[in-house]
Amino acid sequence: MKKGIAPAIIILYIFSFMVFVSLIGYFWQQNRKTPKQPINFSHQLHVSRVGLACTHCHYSVEKSPAAGIPPVQTCMNCHQAVATDRPEIKKLTQYWEEKIPIPWKRVYVLPVRNYVYFSHKRHIKGGLQCVNCHGNVEVMPVIKQVPELEMGWCVSCHRVKNAPVDCATCHK
Amino acid sequence: MDRRDFLKILGITSGTMMVSSCGVDKASEKIIPYVIPPDEDVYPGNPLFLNTTCTECPANCGMQVEINEKVYHDVRSLYPTKLEGIEGHPLNEGTLCMRGQAGLFRLYSPDRIQRTMMRHDQGNFRVATWKEALTRIEEGLNRAKQDGKKNAYFSGRTTGSLSELIDRFCRNKDIERLPEFEVFSYANIKRANEMVFRRPQIPKYHIEKADFLLTIGADIFETHISPVSHSWRFARARKNENFSWYHVEPNLSLTGVQATRRLSLRPRSEMVLLTFLLQTVLEQNERKNNPGITIVRSLPNYPLDEVSSLTGISETDLRSLATSFGNAKKPLVIAGGVSTAHQLGLEVAVLTSLLQWIMAMTDELVDFSQAESYESIGTFKDVESLNEQLDQNTMGVLFISRMDPVSMLPAVFKFSRQIKKAQLTVGLSDHMNDTVRECDVILPLSHSLESWGDSQPCRGLTNVIQPAIDPQYDTRSEGDILLQLLNNESTYKNFLFEKWNKNYGDAGTKEMLKTGYRSDPVPKVMVSFNTLAVSSFVRHMEKPNFNYGVVLCLSPSIRSYDGRSRDLKLMQEIPDPLSTISYGGWISISPLTAEYFRLKDRDEVELTAQEFSLKLPVKVQKHLSDNVVMVQRDLIPVPLTAVDHRSGEASWYVPNISLQKTGVVLPVPILSGSMEENHRGILPPDDDHGHRHDDEEHPRWYPEHEHKDYRWGMAIDLESCIGCNACTAACYVENNIPLVGLKEHLNGREMSWIRIQPYYDANDNFEFVPMMCQQCDNAPCEPVCPVYASYHNPEGLNVQVYNRCVGTRYCSNNCPYKVRRFNWFDHRLVEPLDKMYNPAISVRGRGIMEKCTFCIQRIRAAKDHAKDENRLVQDGEIIPACAQTCPTEAITFGNMKDTESRVYQLAQSERAYHALEELGTEPAVNYLGKRGNNHEA
Repeated sequence: MKKGIAPAIIILYIFSFMVFVSLIGYFWQQNRKTPKQPINFSHQLHVSRVGLACTHCHYSVEKSPAAGIPPVQTCMNCHQAVATDRPEIKKLTQYWEEKIPIPWKRVYVLPVRNYVYFSHKRHIKGGLQCVNCHGNVEVMPVIKQVPELEMGWCVSCHRVKNAPVDCATCHK
Repeated sequence: MDRRDFLKILGITSGTMMVSSCGVDKASEKIIPYVIPPDEDVYPGNPLFLNTTCTECPANCGMQVEINEKVYHDVRSLYPTKLEGIEGHPLNEGTLCMRGQAGLFRLYSPDRIQRTMMRHDQGNFRVATWKEALTRIEEGLNRAKQDGKKNAYFSGRTTGSLSELIDRFCRNKDIERLPEFEVFSYANIKRANEMVFRRPQIPKYHIEKADFLLTIGADIFETHISPVSHSWRFARARKNENFSWYHVEPNLSLTGVQATRRLSLRPRSEMVLLTFLLQTVLEQNERKNNPGITIVRSLPNYPLDEVSSLTGISETDLRSLATSFGNAKKPLVIAGGVSTAHQLGLEVAVLTSLLQWIMAMTDELVDFSQAESYESIGTFKDVESLNEQLDQNTMGVLFISRMDPVSMLPAVFKFSRQIKKAQLTVGLSDHMNDTVRECDVILPLSHSLESWGDSQPCRGLTNVIQPAIDPQYDTRSEGDILLQLLNNESTYKNFLFEKWNKNYGDAGTKEMLKTGYRSDPVPKVMVSFNTLAVSSFVRHMEKPNFNYGVVLCLSPSIRSYDGRSRDLKLMQEIPDPLSTISYGGWISISPLTAEYFRLKDRDEVELTAQEFSLKLPVKVQKHLSDNVVMVQRDLIPVPLTAVDHRSGEASWYVPNISLQKTGVVLPVPILSGSMEENHRGILPPDDDHGHRHDDEEHPRWYPEHEHKDYRWGMAIDLESCIGCNACTAACYVENNIPLVGLKEHLNGREMSWIRIQPYYDANDNFEFVPMMCQQCDNAPCEPVCPVYASYHNPEGLNVQVYNRCVGTRYCSNNCPYKVRRFNWFDHRLVEPLDKMYNPAISVRGRGIMEKCTFCIQRIRAAKDHAKDENRLVQDGEIIPACAQTCPTEAITFGNMKDTESRVYQLAQSERAYHALEELGTEPAVNYLGKRGNNHEA
């Protein structure tokens, strides 16, 4: 063995290991931000093409802390007749017939959700638009998480808009 | 292998392991929608409220259920998460006792019976379907008919529509409906009222209208008839400066220690005291109802010294009692509890009714128009006759519903063996108890929060029971079961609605469902006095004999009522207010008895009576009489006691017991440190200028806090606090506080955020101090947190940020009030109890410090609501859980910057002080001490 090749191999190994792990990390984050949903629902289609407003499905955003995810009945209101031959719609209909709620993968997960309180109602009434935080949803074929939901991101906007920065506002 | 190869292999394997773990698909969080949304405006995050009835004890207070939407085990649904009283309800005025607050522990109990069971031939239970069980019952009834056997229906107190339905069922199927069984049957009171007023009823006591109250044994705040009702009435009465209250009892009760004067009396001597009172007030007063006078004159005349020696009360006390009673414009006497549950209890009840009549209390204060619905409740005599019937082997089908005679009746009855003598026993219950275990068919009942129904706790009041959640298991309500046995196609809900619509009309029914109750006017009852019966009874009254040595008194318990609420896990976690013992049993003895036997707290003692013997740890209880020892009745197998055959009342005393020290010391969780206050500053300072030392300036390290719109503060009136622990229970449920269990209690690690601390004040009387985080302006816990998890917010609260806390515990170390609780372990509630977790607040994991937050989630919700309407929060909008449930309104919360608010006005009172004031912590909690010299000479 040539002198110096053993340390080089080890360094190469460690380096490739780090690259490998960061690639894995990146793809895992992407997967979490853009998870594979049970039904391939396209916001682009429903918002841009069909013209639905955000509150049509996310009904409680102005009335309660949670935005609300549409019940299966809301989907079936149209899809009992519309595009019933498509495979995704067939999946939807099956969920409806078996009375099973669709197990959507949550995209916007607040870190440490148990300890944090976030009120959609307060932010909408404060004048924010959906797109300010959620990005341009109308051009997303697959919904993905746009901002990093870290406390720093929330606090920086609160500081600019003169919203309360008291810890008790959000920490429950 | 050489060193290098070894290191290479180590590196590669650890690297591979790390990489391989990355490939694991971490289940990402799901978000579950509804399939079909609920019909009203239900939004996740906004709670719904429903008015129904609490069925934890026979008082049947009106209860409001807070229902929250949350996802539990991948199902999004509505779950009741908090119970309150209904505002303005005639029984409880928006408050609830500690057992009521813990009602969810019954609803979500892991010990509930989940499906129907039947005993098969081998003797064990097997799961059955409803159809099989009901068929078996039908067959049993038919067989009984053929064999000529009798059937019986034995239930706990039932009122309202269910009672009607049971009547109908029994008539239809030829079943004898036995008198209902309640351990607290008030048999002597009913019999006395029957004799004196021709009304075998329990009247409603309007304590709030009285200016003098005399209670003889009646534990009005703990279990007597309707404790929450008595508590708020007492608080109203106390607002009158002239109100005074004498409580006379042979044992020591929570009620007794609240009275203006508590007099310890020799057991069985109450009738002597009453005779004395009857004769003295007759001399003093002009108001006399004639027929009674002759009777009183016929009573034996006891001179003062004889009364004193017979009752054990000093002459001075007797004189002052007689004077206060005589001077009162609206006196009220209530006898009950331990004083009417002995051989001479009927005498006590009759003399009390006589006194009520003579002093014209029956005009207004003792109200038979709104009498409590206890008519159909039987006595011990009825149980004895049931026993005889069973002995004769003539019982066919025996239905036992909503009660546990095997454990409530004396062990000697061997009721578990007796019920097997029936051909078929059907048990209806929600929990597996000793009785149900002996039955042949077990029908699981739905909890009252899962069913429809109504109840009539007293005349003129109808409470609605409506479901807040669908039955979680395969259970049914009793009404539905009976209708199915009657082969009736309709459901109990339809039965009820038909009846309500018929009686109250459509609009009336809707209104009733909205408010949760309905008050109908009742015709005023004018009682008449049965001179003949009373004079004949009085003539045959015997002088009491006191040859009973040391007597064991079985007392009722505020935590478990007659034992039924022991199923609720929370009731064991919260300590008994007088002894502060949480888990396990104990026997209370007086300090003199302890000295005589050389016993101290936690020593084990063997108690021997004629028929049984027990071993229990000792708790020394000051103010208890020397020849009385007390055990709460549900802590021991019920001993056999004498039954008074005139009324059927079973005695609560076991005479002639002996104690012997065994020498063992048991681990008993006595949670209070010391009950001696020693002028520490927790109780009001008893010097002349005893209020706040506003003139003293403490040096400040930090600049003053600025408060913009709100500064939250609290005022606690120690005069009103009765130590009932309803606030503690409410806080546990509202704030997801963990239940830690016996082992941690022995380590002193109970997690209650608010606790009732009992102390002996300067006059050696009990005082209860509710202690929670004082939200100090100058908090000692804030500067010492290394990670700034504990800080002072701009509204005056001391906020604890849970996920920032690293568990240093320096804050708890620095807190002089010791109100900070540390999560030493993860004490998540056992499934399915965790369904009751309040989603508005977190569930803390281990390593996190928590404490009272003045219900910041309620503050946040109210501010949110106010901001929607573009205004500030008004006084009274935010009510923390403890303040909301307090029956005596001892706790007031509000904005100290609002000078119109109630809390501000109370804080300016001259009775106001801060706990441990001299430390300079400047708490936001103002305590209002008991008014100066509260005790008459």
